[in-house]
Amino acid sequence: MEKIREEIKEKARQALASKEVDVILAWEKGELWYDSYPAFFTKEKDIDSLVWDSFCVNNLSKYLLEYTMTDKKIGVFVKGCDALAFNQLVQDNRVSRDKVVLYGLPCSGMVDPDKVRTKNLNQGLTEIKKSKDKLIFITKDKEITVPAHEVYYDKCLHCRYPNPVTYDQLVGETVAAEGVLDDSVRFSGVKELEELSCEERFEYWDGQFSKCIRCFACRNVCPACSCKQCTFDDSDLEVLGKAREDSEDKFFHLIRAYHVAGRCIDCGECSRVCPQDISLEKLNRKLIKDINELYGEYQAGLDPSAKAPLGTYKLEDADSFTVGEKGGKKREKNSKR
Amino acid sequence: MKKIAKDKLSLLWKKIAENYQLFLPITEGKVVNFSIWEEGAEVDLNTLRTVNSPKNIIFPQTETYLKFKKEGKKLNLEVVANKGEYVVFGVRSCDVASFKLLDNVFLDEPIDKFYEESRKKGLIISQACLNPQETCFCNSFGINPELAPEGADISTWELGDLLFWEAQSEKGKNLTEALGDILEEVIEDEQEKLNQLKTGIKDRLKDLPLAQINPETIGGDLKEIFDSEIWDELHRRCLGCGMCTYVCPTCHCYDVKDYDGNKGGERFRCWDSCMFSDFTMMAHGNPRTTQKERVRQRFMHKLVYYTNNYKSYACVGCGRCTEKCPVSLDIVKVIKKLGGERNEL
Repeated sequence: MEKIREEIKEKARQALASKEVDVILAWEKGELWYDSYPAFFTKEKDIDSLVWDSFCVNNLSKYLLEYTMTDKKIGVFVKGCDALAFNQLVQDNRVSRDKVVLYGLPCSGMVDPDKVRTKNLNQGLTEIKKSKDKLIFITKDKEITVPAHEVYYDKCLHCRYPNPVTYDQLVGETVAAEGVLDDSVRFSGVKELEELSCEERFEYWDGQFSKCIRCFACRNVCPACSCKQCTFDDSDLEVLGKAREDSEDKFFHLIRAYHVAGRCIDCGECSRVCPQDISLEKLNRKLIKDINELYGEYQAGLDPSAKAPLGTYKLEDADSFTVGEKGGKKREKNSKR
Repeated sequence: MKKIAKDKLSLLWKKIAENYQLFLPITEGKVVNFSIWEEGAEVDLNTLRTVNSPKNIIFPQTETYLKFKKEGKKLNLEVVANKGEYVVFGVRSCDVASFKLLDNVFLDEPIDKFYEESRKKGLIISQACLNPQETCFCNSFGINPELAPEGADISTWELGDLLFWEAQSEKGKNLTEALGDILEEVIEDEQEKLNQLKTGIKDRLKDLPLAQINPETIGGDLKEIFDSEIWDELHRRCLGCGMCTYVCPTCHCYDVKDYDGNKGGERFRCWDSCMFSDFTMMAHGNPRTTQKERVRQRFMHKLVYYTNNYKSYACVGCGRCTEKCPVSLDIVKVIKKLGGERNEL
């Protein structure tokens, strides 16, 4: 990673110097070891503070929404998940492909600070190095090596696209998709819930949603949530009050899940940022699984020109919404509607 | 000073819960928050900082004031009774200090009667921080987590298998007396060990990575800070969620609204966030139309406006925003930017 960091900086400097782009979206380092955050670079001299390390978890594609109405040319670094997000924004007509230069960054996973703290690896930490699939935590007097997957975010362990699916220029070498898991693992949490009774499932989700504090971090970090004004923010519409109310907490999460259905790229950012640890990934994966089963395998963000499963209609589409006719029972000819 | 063996704490809680609603840091899944204690609850006194601050208890996220019902041409109003007496056990020094900051606002004229009642009914038991974390910077705001914080009714310290207990207020003394048969007297030797513990905590604070953060470095008057160019860049990464304001122990902005049913309804107040686009929405629209203005508002409030009004910063250095902001736009970075080079760590 250290070597690639220098390559990234060089690329960014050149892009600004040659006026290939007006602004570079990358990451910068804060005060603490885990603190890598989105940064916007317009001057070559500032590139020194650009960083690429195991904590660059933020998806920068979403910031492109701010530039949609300007004539600026933007350079953005994208990991595998970020590239899916980018494609989805293009597919949703929210970002113009020709205004953006994409620098692809293969990524084998990002480190979850909570897992590092749980293992007490943060005590006296001075540096973290990465060596293949291991991470080395260096303090003043010792070095501790741990297998990277032990401290990666859960969402990275399920990553299916560690290499960007789209880019203009690739920095570094592609990584083996070591985290790739088959669908049985990806949907195992969903299957567990599907096996519960209706009442048990209700109780589970009731417990999850009642934890919500309505900070809207899940929505605001989500690359599929790209509306200029979210209907939940429109106080005139009064679709969602400001009070914490169990029924409205549910309403918010369910409506949002359905709105991103078929567009959710399964990046897991909603779960990552949730302060209350609500299993939002299970909710979204349930919809992904259903879409796969009803309309055929689909990965949002893979191909921006693809037809969205819920945005198209085919005569043979399953019609499982009709109670008692699961699987889309064909209607008899001349039957009255 | 009193003490109790930690393995007897559940006895203590049971006794307190007989007469009070008892709030404790309780684990639910991966998250620890203050919630109402019941027999068998998974109490966690080791986690330094709950996700949500205990401000939630004295100033609830949603609180119904009033119920109204139309009967014929008459409108019947019913004031909703506040909660009963309660105890919050395990409040850290930073969070205790935050209550004082909320008091400054709500107990200033005109006094907020609901808040006042809530404060009167509460008894705060603090817990010293044995291991302040890397995200802690309470010292920068004059808070000493090793001492009994001002505003606590009872203060506690953990030492090995023991929990030391010292009443700080009249309320605290009364509860301590009521618990007389559970609490024991501390012996001289233990008192000495406790002093050593306090010194140890104090030393650890100096080595924390954010120890040098100093809000006093922020120079210039209100207008200069307001017009500063730093806001142009600083706000860019803000996602506009309300995480910082909702986990913050000192954020206290709220909205008042009605649930309007057909023939009746409820008037309630609930937390609001200056990060949201409809915050302080008025008939003519919103006074702050961009995220830059919203971000500036939050930090101006914490570091300038509040300070001008109450001679104190509206931050206690708890580190919640430092840890929870999805894009690390926390107050430490703002103090550093506004304070310039003098805050270089």
